[in-house]
Amino acid sequence: MVPLLQAETRWECPNCPATHVTAGSRAQLPFHQCPGLRGILAPYVEAGTRCKVEARDREDYAGGELGLRTDRDGRPVMSVVTTRDDGQDCAVFPAAASAQQEG
Amino acid sequence: MVSNFFAPAAALTYTGDTINVALYNNSVTPNKNDTFANNAYAAGTWAGNEISQAGQWATGGVALASKTNTFGAGTAQIGAANTASGNNATLTAVFGCLVYDNTLAAKNAFCWNYFGGSQSVTAGTFTVVWSGSGILQFTIT
Repeated sequence: MVPLLQAETRWECPNCPATHVTAGSRAQLPFHQCPGLRGILAPYVEAGTRCKVEARDREDYAGGELGLRTDRDGRPVMSVVTTRDDGQDCAVFPAAASAQQEG
Repeated sequence: MVSNFFAPAAALTYTGDTINVALYNNSVTPNKNDTFANNAYAAGTWAGNEISQAGQWATGGVALASKTNTFGAGTAQIGAANTASGNNATLTAVFGCLVYDNTLAAKNAFCWNYFGGSQSVTAGTFTVVWSGSGILQFTIT
């Protein structure tokens, strides 16, 4: 019998003490509500990665867009950028598109 | 920049069809009042200005996964799991995405979702985290 081992990935956040563990392939970055990053949704980074994770405020007028993500002060956040020594990740937060029945 | 539009089509089957997410720069001009034929992938304003990288976020876009339909009081919305590139993507000046039906020959669009400004990624992962209000929300009256 051959045991089937699943790879395990350990994650951490440079802005708060949160940690996370995933099994299997690294298909998607896991996220968490980060108290150290104004309370917004932020990605974990693989444990041991030298990086900074920063929120970027929305650069354009928000108007009445549905479901924009905001920080704990209600300020719209358009993305979170993770800057590593060897590159940069980006998670964007679009609003929901909206449609109304027209008479 | 205009943010959202919806192009209805009787043949659309959101959960059954392959729905792709294509990325664009800020040279597109979304127009919900444009013709039905022009509110589609590779047509009208969407005939150019796509941002892509082979093997990471390919031309034509990335397919939505774990698609959902949700019905509430006076609203209906479509959603999906976050949509991500490969982990070695380099994409520059991405301003939004077109969500369209890649199963239909006409590749009709569901909507355009604006990212709020210029977004870039270098040798990393580009992830679209869909809103808690869904990708597209309909108000039913």
